[in-house]
Amino acid sequence: MGQGPSGGLNRQLPGDRKQNGSDKKDKKFEPAAPPARVGRKQRKQKGPEAAARLPTVTPLTKCKLRLLKLERIKDYLLMEEEFVANQERLKPQEEKAEEDRSKVDDLRGSPMSVGNLEELIDENHAIVSSSVGPEYYVGILSFVDKDQLEPGCAILMHNKVLSVVGLLQDEVDPMVSVMKVDKAPLESYADIGGLDAQIQEIKEAVELPLTHPELYEDIGIKPPKGVILYGEPGTGKTLLAKAVANSTSATFLRVVGSELIQKYLGDGPKLVRELFRVADDLSPSIVFIDEIDAVGTKRYDAHSGGEREIQRTMLELLNQLDGFDSRGDVKVILATNRIESLDPALLRPGRIDRKIEFPLPDIKTRRRIFQIHTARMTLADDVNLEEFVMTKDEFSGADIKAICTEAGLLALRERRMKVTHVDFKKAKEKVMFKKKEGVPEGLYM
Amino acid sequence: MAPDLNKASGSASKNEAPVKAPPSKKKEDKKDEDLSEEDLALKQQLELYVERVQDPEPGIQKLALESLRQEIRSSTSSMTSVPKPLKFLRAHYGALKAHYETMAESDLKKYLADILSVLALTMSAEGERESLKYRLLGSEGDIGSWGHEYVRNLAGEIAQEYTKRQAMKRTEEAPIHDLIELVQQIVAFHMKHNAEPEAVDLLMEVEDLDILSKHVDKTNFKRTCLYLTSAAKYLPGPDDLVVLKIAYEIYLKFGEYASALQIALFLDNSQYIKQVYISCDDSLQKKQFSYILARHGSAFELDDDISADDVDREVLEEIINNTKLSEGYLTLARDIEVMEPKSPEDIYKAHLLDGRASAGASVDSARQNLAATFVNAFVNAGFGQDKLMTPPTDSSSGGSGNWLFKNKEHGKTSAAASLGMILMWDVDSGLAQLDKYFHSNDNHVIAGALLGVGIVNCGIRNDCDPALALLDDFVDKEDPSVRIGAIMGLGIAYAGTQNEQICSKLSGILNDAKAPLDVIAFSAISLGLVCVSSCNEEVAQAIIFALMDRSESELQEPLIRFLPLGLGLLYLGKQERVDATAEVSKTFNEKIRKYCDMTLLSCAYAGTGNVLKVQNLLGHCAEHLEKSETHQGPAVLGIAMIAMAEELGLEMAIRSLEHLLQYGEQNIRRAVPLALGLLCISNPKVNVMDTLSRLSHDTDSEVAMAAVISLGLIGAGTNNARIAGMLRNLSSYYYKDAPLLFCVRIAQGLVHLGKGLLTLNPYHSDRFLLSPTALAGLITMLHACLDMKNIASGKYHYVLYFLVLAMQPRMLLTVDENLKPLSVPVRVGQAVDVVGQAGRPKTITGFQTHSTPVLLAAGDRAELATEKYIPLSPILEGFVILKENPDYREDL
Repeated sequence: MGQGPSGGLNRQLPGDRKQNGSDKKDKKFEPAAPPARVGRKQRKQKGPEAAARLPTVTPLTKCKLRLLKLERIKDYLLMEEEFVANQERLKPQEEKAEEDRSKVDDLRGSPMSVGNLEELIDENHAIVSSSVGPEYYVGILSFVDKDQLEPGCAILMHNKVLSVVGLLQDEVDPMVSVMKVDKAPLESYADIGGLDAQIQEIKEAVELPLTHPELYEDIGIKPPKGVILYGEPGTGKTLLAKAVANSTSATFLRVVGSELIQKYLGDGPKLVRELFRVADDLSPSIVFIDEIDAVGTKRYDAHSGGEREIQRTMLELLNQLDGFDSRGDVKVILATNRIESLDPALLRPGRIDRKIEFPLPDIKTRRRIFQIHTARMTLADDVNLEEFVMTKDEFSGADIKAICTEAGLLALRERRMKVTHVDFKKAKEKVMFKKKEGVPEGLYM
Repeated sequence: MAPDLNKASGSASKNEAPVKAPPSKKKEDKKDEDLSEEDLALKQQLELYVERVQDPEPGIQKLALESLRQEIRSSTSSMTSVPKPLKFLRAHYGALKAHYETMAESDLKKYLADILSVLALTMSAEGERESLKYRLLGSEGDIGSWGHEYVRNLAGEIAQEYTKRQAMKRTEEAPIHDLIELVQQIVAFHMKHNAEPEAVDLLMEVEDLDILSKHVDKTNFKRTCLYLTSAAKYLPGPDDLVVLKIAYEIYLKFGEYASALQIALFLDNSQYIKQVYISCDDSLQKKQFSYILARHGSAFELDDDISADDVDREVLEEIINNTKLSEGYLTLARDIEVMEPKSPEDIYKAHLLDGRASAGASVDSARQNLAATFVNAFVNAGFGQDKLMTPPTDSSSGGSGNWLFKNKEHGKTSAAASLGMILMWDVDSGLAQLDKYFHSNDNHVIAGALLGVGIVNCGIRNDCDPALALLDDFVDKEDPSVRIGAIMGLGIAYAGTQNEQICSKLSGILNDAKAPLDVIAFSAISLGLVCVSSCNEEVAQAIIFALMDRSESELQEPLIRFLPLGLGLLYLGKQERVDATAEVSKTFNEKIRKYCDMTLLSCAYAGTGNVLKVQNLLGHCAEHLEKSETHQGPAVLGIAMIAMAEELGLEMAIRSLEHLLQYGEQNIRRAVPLALGLLCISNPKVNVMDTLSRLSHDTDSEVAMAAVISLGLIGAGTNNARIAGMLRNLSSYYYKDAPLLFCVRIAQGLVHLGKGLLTLNPYHSDRFLLSPTALAGLITMLHACLDMKNIASGKYHYVLYFLVLAMQPRMLLTVDENLKPLSVPVRVGQAVDVVGQAGRPKTITGFQTHSTPVLLAAGDRAELATEKYIPLSPILEGFVILKENPDYREDL
């Protein structure tokens, strides 16, 4: 790893020093050991700490062997705990560490200026630049973790001598952190009328791989990576995604396709990359991209730079979905109501393994939806919902909700405490009228 | 599952249309609202059945039960939710149970019990085990008909019930035969449905693995045995032995003799080994067994039962005696085209460093030359030619002598012995070339020649015992260095043979009050090697007495550590059998007592993965001691020795060692790199490499030395470019520091061990078997390195030659039925753990296709890429005999 010539050059220093000083006594300065590698950041460390990572345990199936192996790991961890606890008791390190830390803080000085690492010269020197002004050739203090330094990263510099005293990690794009769903939505599976098959499919594709990976291992298949939900407007795609977010404890990131379109060139793909990187960091996680047709339309000769940019954003998305780097516990849910206009590359198996259609509700489902929406309404005795359920008109779930709301409003207008059948009828006509864009229902029947 | 279902029993709502929802009745109906029409119909149907079951008329009852059964069986659902009929019947579980109690004894009652048993699957309270209870009362029909989940649940309950009854057994009679009968059924079911792990798990729970052998068949015995053997590593004793025994029996039953032999070797049971030989009547297969035995380095005597035919037996013996090892190794070397000898300069690659390093090279030329000797020996090990000792022109007066005399005093010993390593395994020419040194008038040269004879014969046995014949006379010579040479030579040549003649001879030296300490120390080690893991009482006594006879001052000597170590080697891997000796060691002088204790403990449990012992050793490491105490070093090494048994322990031990580095005193820190080196020997893991690279710049020079040597150990025989680069940089970093530079050179030699064809890993056969002699050689060398200044880089540098015991070619050499090398395509790739996986998963990943002979790196596995031949060993390592596949047809 590129520490051949440059490493050799610089390592003359310690040798000379030893030559001059009579061998053992000059322990004043021992050069820090050169880092294992320079200039390339260690592969992003998953989880809290790479060092604390435990060995993986195979098989994934629940069996005694797995139990025994896990117990073995536990035994070792207990021993470690015991050992460390003993040592801490015998010679507490806290104070010493505290002392060291304050020394380091002194060395760092305050305030520290923020700069950019331009180039690493050798393990102790680098070229840095701050946001204003020229570039400097400065030293790197020995307590900086050199394994983490890489050209282009943000660093902390001493305010006077500008030497590198620390580095800024964790540069998660604030755009992405906004996407994280912190508060689970209130809609649960119980709030969905019908769609049993769809619920089951999405559960199998998204939830089970995260909660019960061994089921897939048992059978010997790889769980699906992602699903696309498609269907007419108002058939419950977003609702189902909300229910998934409600029921899972995995990190849920939600984006709308249009959010991925950015003002500046390259920002869109960058955002996508960032999004998936965060998802990977926080895995297990579910990424939900609503209205994917905003970026995912078929590729054709683009006329404007804007279109090209959108296509590039989609290409990045393609790569993230099934590209060179494997995504572990990241599941993707896409939603659209125009699946036919999406790029075929986006939908190929391996990227999106399952396509879940959301049809307009059939009679049974319609009945359920009516029930759900009328459950909290005070209905008059004469209300016969069956009449609406059985109509030939094409209602979507959203339409039904609109009818119920509209009926409620009508009753409210007349200051009645109960919603009557007539209200429903009127509401239905009104909704259907609006839906058919001003053409009154039944006019051309 | 919704709690509302519990209460959804109200019959009031039954006849209501679901959608007409008059507000007044809303409350009662709320529960039913969620149900679709079909569900409701199903529910009503079920309720009807339940009612009918309670009907006094047996005919109706029967019909109802029959239909209930139908309903339950036909229901399929998503993988996580409870089938609907079970959901709906939940409410009636209590009623049915009550009814069951009142029923008269009859077939119907059993029928009902069956159904209750299934219902209990979801409904019985935790820990009640009602499913099992009713199953036992039921009709004992086909267990699989109720589905997989039911069987699984039942298996779980049986395990609980069994432990309960076992606990009760102490106070009262609790028969288990009814359980066992059920277990039989379940096991049969699992074995038929590719769920071998579950079957094995259940049988382990009820501690009756013998049942297993009845149910395995040709299709699943391999998976079963694989599971058993891998579980054995994690089971506490004596369960592991039971498990392995079963696996052995199954292998034997299905004629997988080679696998059976491996288990026999693991158990170190010569009875079993013999049984394998006897039960197999294929002479070719027997030859394969012999190759496996030879790799393991175990001394196994063939007798007439095994092979009546003299010619056959001779062939087998020849293989076991490893006489063909050199030939095979050279075949590999020729194939890979590395026969060209390399000089130390080719390894140092000083030209890659910037100018200065070579300029300052003449610091301590004797030591430089010594280092070059070792590097030369390691790099050209076994090739039979090099550039220093055996110049190609072979002008007998020239080159070789010159190099030899470039070394000073004891350096000459190592130089002469290095010739032995270059000619390793090639007894005939090796002895011929070493012969000239016997007539030297320099005692050091003679000593080296004697040691060289031992190295040449390492792992090779010969009927006429040339090594013993040559070395025997020199053991009793005056000069201590000659004696040490002869003793070490004997120890290395006869490691693991338990040769009685040598034992008595060396024991005699131990009892000799006049013998100097170093002679005694090396005698103890050699005894330990010869009788490694034999628990030989007499030898143990001899060493114990020798230890007791030492004076106070002698106990302070660094070499004294070889006495306890020799004692420990006798019990290598033998676990409890060390106890008696360990008791005796408590009476030793307190200077050595703890050291002895640690050494014995770590040796006895080496390669067992016993967590309790690791804990014990860690406990010792946790103390902060006075300067003079030295026993923590072996304790740290012991952690590595014990934990190296399996992958998990290995990785966890690396973590623990990291803590030891953080908190430990200097004497612990010095041992940690060595322990890391042992854990990852010939297996350069990146994280360990980084740690060692960090430690190699440590301010404490002994820590740095140990780290450098360990860098060599983890890269031994891999030609790893990264380690080579690190060491090169270290060589310029330390170019002023002679002892450290010596270590760097040694490490460089180790990395290029045998030009990358050799490994030091004592584990072989897919990391399943541990060769005791190899491990013994390694730990001897590591113990010597615990006191680097005085032993390894001091006067006794030739302890490094103990590594020869662990050297083995890391090759796969396929031979045909006449044992001639045969080149076939093989795939070599990273091994994948496939235990307990469904289907026929790939056992290797990221493979490349080569043609044999090939090199196998640590963690690599090979498989044949052609159907034309059938390997006689399931694990393709070392020598493998190929048989033509009679069913093979050329693809057209």
